Formats: sequence, structure tokens, C-alpha cells
Amino acid sequence: MTQTSHLILCVDDELIGLRVRKVLLERAGYRVLTAMDGASGLRLFESEPVEAVVLDYSMPGMHGGEVAGRMRQIKPSIPILLLSAYLGLPADVTSLVNLYMTKGEGAPVLLRKLETLLQPLNTP
Amino acid sequence: MNLSQFNRILQQALLLPVIALLLTAGALYWQIRGANETVGIIQTTDVRIAQAGLVAKLIVDEESGLRGYETTGDERFLQPFNDAGNRLPAEFEKLASLTDSDPQQRYNVEDLRNEHQTWRDAFALPIISLVRAGGHTSDVNLNLYGKSLMDQVRQDIEAITQHAEGRRTVRIGQWRRQVRNLLEALIAIALGMGVLIGLFMRSRLHAVSSAYRSSIEILGRRAEEIFQSEQRLRTTLDSIGDGVITCDASGRIQMMNPVAAELTGWAQTEAVGLPLENVFKIINEHTREPIETPVAKVMRLKTVVGLASHTALIRKDMTQILIADSGAPVRDQTGETAGIVLVFRDITMERRTQEALLANEKLAVAGRLAATIAHEIHNPLDSVSNLLYLMKGGTTEDEFKQFIDMAERELARVTQISRAMLGLYRESKAPVPVDLHEILHEILLLMEHRFQELGVTVTSDIPQPIGVDAFPAELRQVFTNLITNAAEAAGSGGEVRISASSLPAGINSAGNKMPSGALIIIADNGSGISEKVRPHLFQPFFTTKGERGTGLGLWVSRGIVHKHGGTIDLASDTGESAHGTIVSVFLAEKPTINTNVG
Repeated sequence: MTQTSHLILCVDDELIGLRVRKVLLERAGYRVLTAMDGASGLRLFESEPVEAVVLDYSMPGMHGGEVAGRMRQIKPSIPILLLSAYLGLPADVTSLVNLYMTKGEGAPVLLRKLETLLQPLNTP
Repeated sequence: MNLSQFNRILQQALLLPVIALLLTAGALYWQIRGANETVGIIQTTDVRIAQAGLVAKLIVDEESGLRGYETTGDERFLQPFNDAGNRLPAEFEKLASLTDSDPQQRYNVEDLRNEHQTWRDAFALPIISLVRAGGHTSDVNLNLYGKSLMDQVRQDIEAITQHAEGRRTVRIGQWRRQVRNLLEALIAIALGMGVLIGLFMRSRLHAVSSAYRSSIEILGRRAEEIFQSEQRLRTTLDSIGDGVITCDASGRIQMMNPVAAELTGWAQTEAVGLPLENVFKIINEHTREPIETPVAKVMRLKTVVGLASHTALIRKDMTQILIADSGAPVRDQTGETAGIVLVFRDITMERRTQEALLANEKLAVAGRLAATIAHEIHNPLDSVSNLLYLMKGGTTEDEFKQFIDMAERELARVTQISRAMLGLYRESKAPVPVDLHEILHEILLLMEHRFQELGVTVTSDIPQPIGVDAFPAELRQVFTNLITNAAEAAGSGGEVRISASSLPAGINSAGNKMPSGALIIIADNGSGISEKVRPHLFQPFFTTKGERGTGLGLWVSRGIVHKHGGTIDLASDTGESAHGTIVSVFLAEKPTINTNVG
């Protein structure tokens, strides 16, 4: 594959969940950066050429909504997919991100949604 | 006019006539005494006249005896002469003594005695001697001499009698004057006293009647005031939302207001006069046992009787409402119970609302927990489902082992969480032995993620198993609520300390005897609760969390702790250096479950 694979940033405080998600995305052909909390996630987001973000909502310190808000200030065009274990998220949070989904919907849904987000990049 | 003034008037009205009559009687006595004295003098005069008569008769006897002897010369005819002659000196003496006080009369009597003596010595005795000697006594000159002597005597007697009768006439005149004076005085005194008493009585009666009139006026005004006050109270009673029944000391209904009539189902007119228990039938809501009426209780305890909980009132149509009631004694001036006032209200709706609120809070707690639990379960589930997806796509042996291992760990986490959850809503009818150590650790486990989210450090010091008898689900609700409050108050970077320890029986700081039990302390270092807010903390619908809170958490928690016979206390400091809030919950080891609360 001559086309360089997309660089994805995964932020989640759940260690196992993060590790599994990283393997999953790598198998799907993405390059994956991981961060365990919002602050380190933002640092990576700023320094690396991240193309999409898979962000967990509930995290200690800074929750997903806040992290997404900062990211929008830094690089407003980068698509963000918000993951949450909660069913209902506040509207001001969902309006910040491109897509959101509930954890447990399964890997195919995650991969499909991520693909949709990267679509405009794939078809220039 | 007061009572002592009135009594004085009564006394005067009695004393004055008595004094007046006594004075009248005194005057009359004095007058009558004067008249009596006069009568006495008249009687003395009568005696004197009679005595003069007696002396005259004796002298006549002497003269007659002498004349008989003169004529016959027979000694027997001298008998009357001798008898009279023997008696006369004494009778003269008597006459003299009767006339002692009158010099004229004394002179007359003395003269009479001398004249008589002269007649006797100069005429009678010589005549007798002459007759005895056999001489003749028919000499005219001698007899004329005797006659002239006797005439002297008669003249004297006449003078004495006339003098006495004259005196008598004067005295009788005097007596008549006295009697007339007496009558006049009597009439004058009677008139005077009558007018005096009349005037006095008139003035006194005036005073009494004006006092009476003003009393009547005051009474009228009082009656009007009492009427108005009664109207005011009646209107108040009719307008208030609680049922009010008043009873006399024997427990018979005297009055009931419209609300009481509506609640009991008895019309006011038919209830008045009936014994209270006929109209106000109350039973225990749960046991259906009749309850002593507040009136009987007030009569027994002679004090205000407070609200009895779980009281149901059986209405006239046999339907039933839940009520809260209280009774208070009405005391008379001596402090005896003269009646009872009974106040009660329908709490059926209140109770339903309360039950609905409790259910609502339970649901809210359950809802909040469900969200936490969903989060706790969704995370491992997500990992497991991703792992399964990866394994389906084929793995190396190493990867397989690694994936299986991770899936197992995530599933173990789910199991642990679901176990903790199981205990949460297991309802039980009776308290069961509970280990507070276990309960608190389960709650902390479930909330772990929430603490991380909030950025709160939680430390716990619950050294050994602490057993109490309780309803575990309810205690979980209480501690989840208190720990959540503490964590939210502490905020990011804050700290929550939870400690629990067994307490032996003893006396607490307030001096109350406490049974053995457990003390759980939940402390945070948040900004503290201001004094303005503190009094409202345990009130329903009071919240500082805006949309996120129901305002029922602490209210319900306190209800549950009280139901467990325990206490819940809150101390807070908003100071610069040592701010924070400490909630202490005491639970008895073997509580008497108090179902009347909550």
C-alpha cells in the first residue's frame, strides 16, 4: 500500500480498553497513538500530525467534552469521534464532535464510523 | 362602687333606724318616768286623804260612843270610844308621817291632834267622869262647849282633806300635761326620725342605684365584647383548615367546626352533646386496634397530648382517613381541667405525597446508580467485544493468550461490579445483620470511577468487620448519598475521608444515654456549608445542585437513619484554613426499628 495509513489518536483512561482498541485499529491499517488522560492527549494532538481522534468521554480530571473543545481550538478541522459508556451525553458536548457512539456497540461500528470520518481525506 | 362600700351602706341602713328607735325609746322612757312619778305623788295624796278619812271616822266613833254613854250611862256604849281612843294615837302618827314633806299639812295635822286632845281632855273625859259619878250631862252650855271643840276638830279634818284634794287636783293636771307632752314628743320624734331615716335611705339608695346602673352598663359592654370575641373566635375556628372539636370535662362534644364535621362525617347539630368516642372513632392504621382518644389521654395525663402517628379516623359512613391529632386541656381558674380542645387534620394526601416522594428519591438514586453501573459495565464489555472481534479475524498463539487473558480480567471486573450491585436493591421486611465494612467497600468500588472523574482522592479507615442490624439496601442508599455529596463538595483535587468504628454503650456529648453501635464519619475538605444554608439541609426539595439534585437526598437519608433508631449530624466550617464538612452517622448495634418515622 503506497498510500500512507492515517494517524489516529486514541484517548481513554481504561488501560485494557485502550490497548485492545489500539490493536484493533492497527489491524484495520491505521497508525495509532494512545494517551491515558486528556492532558497528555492534547500534547500529542498538538505535536503529532494526527488525522482523527477517538476520544473517551468519562475521564478523570478533564472529560472528553473539554478535551474536544480544546482540540477544536488547536486544529478545528481534525474529526473527532467521541466514545462514551453513558447513553445520554449533554447536547453542548455532542455538538462539538463530528460523531459519537456508545461503548459496546461493537468493533465493526467503530471502524465504519471512523472510515466515514476519514472519507473526505481518502477522496481528494 | 365596690363590695365593701355596698356592705357599709347595708350596715348603715340597718344601724341608723336601730339607733333612731333607741333614742326615741330613751326619750319616751324619760317622759313616762316623769308621768309615773306624778302618778306616784297622786297615789300618796290618795293615801293621805284616806288616812284623814280614817282619822275622821275614828273621831266620829269616839263622839258617837261618848253620846251613847252620856244618854244611857251604860259602860257598853263606851266601847267604840275606847277602841277609837286606843287606835287614834297610831293613826295620827301615820297621818303625820304621810304629810312630812308638806309644812302646811304638818301644821294642820298637828293642829288637829291638839284640837282632838283638847276635846278629849277638856270635854270627853270630864263627861265620862261625870256620868260615872251619876251627874247630869244635859247642861246645854257644857254640850255647846263640847260641840265647839268637836267643830274645831271637824274643821281641821276638813282643812286637811281639802288641802290634800287640792294638791291632788294640781298633780292630776300636771299628769295630764305630761301625757300631752309625751304624745307631742312622740309625734315629733316619730316625724323627725322618719324624715331623717327617709332622707338617709334615699341618699344611700341613690348611691346604690347609680352604682347598679353603672354596673349594668359595664356588664352590657362586657357582654358585647364577649359576644364579639366569641364571634371572632368562632369565625376563626370556622375558617381554619384543621378540624377542631371542643368537649366538656366529661368528654361530651360542645362544639365542632365545619372542617371537623366534614372530616368525621357528622353534622355539627347531631354531634353536639354526644360522647366524643361516638363521633371521633380512631384506630391504628396498621393494627386496626382502637386508640385511646386524645380527650381520654388529656384527662389522664392532664397535659397537651401531641400528634399520634398512624392514626386512622373511621368516618360516619365507615370510610377511613388518615389523621394527625392533638389534644389540649382547657383549664378553669383553679387549674382544674374544664374541657378539652381537640385539633386534627386529614393527612391522607400528605402521606401519599410523602410516599411518592420517597419512591421518587429511590428511583432517582437508582437512576444515578444505573448510569454509574452502565459505565462500569460498558467499558469492560466494549473491550471484550473488541477482543472477540480481533480473535475472529485470526490471531497468533501469543496474541490469543494475551487476548484471552485481557478478556478474563475484564469479565472479572463485570462480575465484581454486578455482585456489588446485587446487594443494592434487595428488599427485606426485617433488619438483618449487616457488615458496614463490606457495604462501604462495595459502595466505594462502584463509585471509584466517579471519584476519578471528579478528581477526588478517597481514603477509608474501616479496620475490621462492623456488625449492626439494619436494612442493607437502605443503608447503601444513605451512604451512597453521603459519599457522593462529600465527593462533589470536595471537587477536583479534593479529599474525602471515610472512617467507621464500633462504639461501646455510653453517654454522648449531649448527655444522652447511647446504646452500643457504630459511628461512621464522612469528611470532605470542600469549601464547607454556609450557616445560611445549614438549617435547610435536611428539608425536602432543598438542593444546592440545581438541575442535578432532587433535593430529597439528605431528607430521605435522615428518615432512614431515624428509622434505624440512629442519628445523623452535620458539622461544617467555611473558614480559610480548615474548611470542610463532617457528617457523622450513629447506628445502634441492635436497633428498635422505628417504623413511625419516614
